[in-house]
Amino acid sequence: MRFLIRRFLALGGVLIASSMIVFCALYLAPGSPEQFLVQGRTVSPEVLDAIRAQYSLDDPLPVRYWNWLSGVFTGDMGRSLLTQQDVGALLASRIPTTLSLAAYAAALIIICGIGLGIVAGTRGGVAERIVIFASNLGIAVPTFFAALVLMSVFSVGLGWFPVFGAGEGAVDRVWHLTLPALALSLPSIAVIARITRTAIVEESESEHVLIAVARGLPRRVILWRHTVRNSLLPVTTAVGMHIAGLVAGAFVVEYAFTLDGTGALLVNSVQRKDFAVVQAIALIMVIAFGVVNLLVDLLYTVIDPRVRLKKGA
Amino acid sequence: MIAIENLELGIKDPDSGALKPVLKGVSLELGRGEAIGLVGESGSGKSMTLRCILGIGPRNAVVGGRIMFDGENLRSLPTDKMRRVRAGRIALISQNPHAALNPVLPIETYLLEGMPELRDARAARLRAGELLEQVGIRSVDRVLKSFPHQLSGGMLQRVVIAGAISGKPDLLLADEPTTALDVTTQAEVAAILDEKRRDLGMSMIFVTHDLDLAAAVTDRLAVMRYGEIVEIGTPEQIRDNPQHPYTRMLMSIRPTLDGVQAVPATQPEIGSTL
Amino acid sequence: MAIKEKAPAAALAAPAAPSNRLAAARRRLGWTGMACVGVVGAVVLAAVVGQFLAPYDPTVGSVTQRHLGSSAEHLLGTDQAGRDIFSRLLAGARTSLLGPLIVVGATAVAGSALALTAVWFGGKVDAFLGRVLDVLFAFPSLLLAILAVAIFGPGLVTASIALAIAYIPYSARVIRSVALRERSLPYVKAAELQGINGFTITVRHILPNVWTQILTGSTINFGYAIVDLAALSFLGLGIQPPEADWGLMISNGQESLQQGFPEQSLYAGLCIVVTVAAMAYIGERLGGRAAAGRSKS
Repeated sequence: MRFLIRRFLALGGVLIASSMIVFCALYLAPGSPEQFLVQGRTVSPEVLDAIRAQYSLDDPLPVRYWNWLSGVFTGDMGRSLLTQQDVGALLASRIPTTLSLAAYAAALIIICGIGLGIVAGTRGGVAERIVIFASNLGIAVPTFFAALVLMSVFSVGLGWFPVFGAGEGAVDRVWHLTLPALALSLPSIAVIARITRTAIVEESESEHVLIAVARGLPRRVILWRHTVRNSLLPVTTAVGMHIAGLVAGAFVVEYAFTLDGTGALLVNSVQRKDFAVVQAIALIMVIAFGVVNLLVDLLYTVIDPRVRLKKGA
Repeated sequence: MIAIENLELGIKDPDSGALKPVLKGVSLELGRGEAIGLVGESGSGKSMTLRCILGIGPRNAVVGGRIMFDGENLRSLPTDKMRRVRAGRIALISQNPHAALNPVLPIETYLLEGMPELRDARAARLRAGELLEQVGIRSVDRVLKSFPHQLSGGMLQRVVIAGAISGKPDLLLADEPTTALDVTTQAEVAAILDEKRRDLGMSMIFVTHDLDLAAAVTDRLAVMRYGEIVEIGTPEQIRDNPQHPYTRMLMSIRPTLDGVQAVPATQPEIGSTL
Repeated sequence: MAIKEKAPAAALAAPAAPSNRLAAARRRLGWTGMACVGVVGAVVLAAVVGQFLAPYDPTVGSVTQRHLGSSAEHLLGTDQAGRDIFSRLLAGARTSLLGPLIVVGATAVAGSALALTAVWFGGKVDAFLGRVLDVLFAFPSLLLAILAVAIFGPGLVTASIALAIAYIPYSARVIRSVALRERSLPYVKAAELQGINGFTITVRHILPNVWTQILTGSTINFGYAIVDLAALSFLGLGIQPPEADWGLMISNGQESLQQGFPEQSLYAGLCIVVTVAAMAYIGERLGGRAAAGRSKS
């Protein structure tokens, strides 16, 4: 329990610090904040006033930060500097796509990454070599390149999958998101497959597995209960880090497939210099990243009795 | 019961392919119910001999010779038959119990997976509790639910002994079972092991570098050096009338109640390992 | 990171003569590794002298020469603006390596400076720097870079420095752990007792021992930096057209690809894949550890 509280406090501290960075970044920009926010666009005085109010530019910095942060917590993230749309509403319409994409990719990472790693680690031989080679290559393939290759082969070439859009309804959505999720998860699958294989090989040489052999336990029990299960403990952390990384990796793939997710919105907002939207998305991504990392830590304490009992959670 | 015939083992260097000899023709015979102590320095091949019997030698090892167990050569047994021998007839107690048990599984799982013949989970649990009581563990329920890292080395080694005797094997292989324990529990664990072995009439090969301990729990001693057995005899013969010069040297540097005798200056490296 | 980390043997060994070290590196790399060194060497060569070898001006095309296939004149064909793809790949090698070079250089310098400071002073300084790194850890690396671009505008230098800031915590953490081990050795204590000042000890004794670590980390980071910077260019936030850059070329070729001309994207992508795979292999062989556990975006 103490451990839990400490972990939560640490996350809170880090999130506050990073939200300050996200907020104050505005003031690092050359020129005055208004100039930066308006970016040379001609705007009506009402809009300018609205911006001044949104960022409470007439107040001292800590007050501004506080106003912004409390706004975020009450769901008021201001308005887009460009379209005057409510940022909260804008995000709400975009988040489902990103979430489904990330969840799909996470599932692929867990199933394919760990699955291939187990195959390579337990079968040996040709399967092992193929997985090692593919993962060496897969690590080096940028997600956006994978996206384009998949798109040109399966959408443009074979016509099996749609090129754009996120789809309506569950089945259609899965169909639309398959290629993006594959592209997004590919490098992670490669890394996880390889970590899993290494972990299994190391575990299978450990003393307790040797003793399990000496006790004449069935091969199946030795393999799954003693070798694979144990080797997956360290793999969990790596999987978690990669799933957390999806939060940020998603925008490249969303952009490549022109999906209407938060990532593509972020990129477009940066391109169009809509800083209010950029700030909101950056903050949400940092929070999501932190929360996923926290969940992984907690999961780890649940599945590994050594950690669980030592921490006294 | 078991006869090791001219057992040889070399470890292949993965880079050069050169063979480093570890066992150079070890022969040893053991009758039913008999206990033999395998003594010698670290690296003399004692543990390796045990691992060869179970067929769990290192991956890059080259093995020769025969290991006859009830008329069958263990070395040419098919995998599944060998597994059944390991499961029911030969049990191993290794040096470090904390390394021998899967760290993330509770003791109960460790004991239960060793008795697959008990299909009924409740019966198996009762049996596990009985076994723990037999090795002198009182808080049975707590221990069953514990994980290895929560128990002391001595306690855990008792659990290992309980697991080893659960299948009433014919042969016990004890690989320095007390070395990793602290001095006070060493004697207790050795006593429990000795008692259970006699009760169940098991044969035992007891590997140790502690001559006195070996003499106390075994009927015969085999002295190993550089992968060979240099002398076999009863503990009395070995102690009072050692034949081989190496055995004589071992006896001369043994600590006695009168105090530690001087280590012969010509063989300083021996003294440091004993 | 979760996998048991093995200390790179070279980090613990006494500094050897350069020729020995070269031979040792070759032995550790093996034939595949040497091939990878060859690949990286070729890319570096292209980056340095590529512009003199390029048969055409990489930024000027001709409308009549669009989407030409491979021929003796245009080795790899032309792109949608009629520019020679081979020339653009050669020219792109420079920008594609220059950015990562800045990233890796800045990361190595700042990362080791932070790590060594933390290790030498220990205690509160170490704890404070740890907190600072924690905050940086909270940002996915590409996000930090994008934020910087949003503020300072797109460009190679901005993106590179932002990425370096995102890489620093990872590199600092690894270097810190190696330096910490060195710091605790008796000879360092002895030097300290002799009254040699901390800066001197750190530079003379601790730094040489974490050197291998820094180099290995930099090799691995280089691969990541190529991918991340290419991603930024792909998003239109890094190198700006009409400049040649591999990431940008992939993005430029996206439309042509849907029209059935995949050459530009394909070749540029392959350049990235091969270079990164080679760097990763070398780094891993030199460091004897998997390039694992880094959150990749």
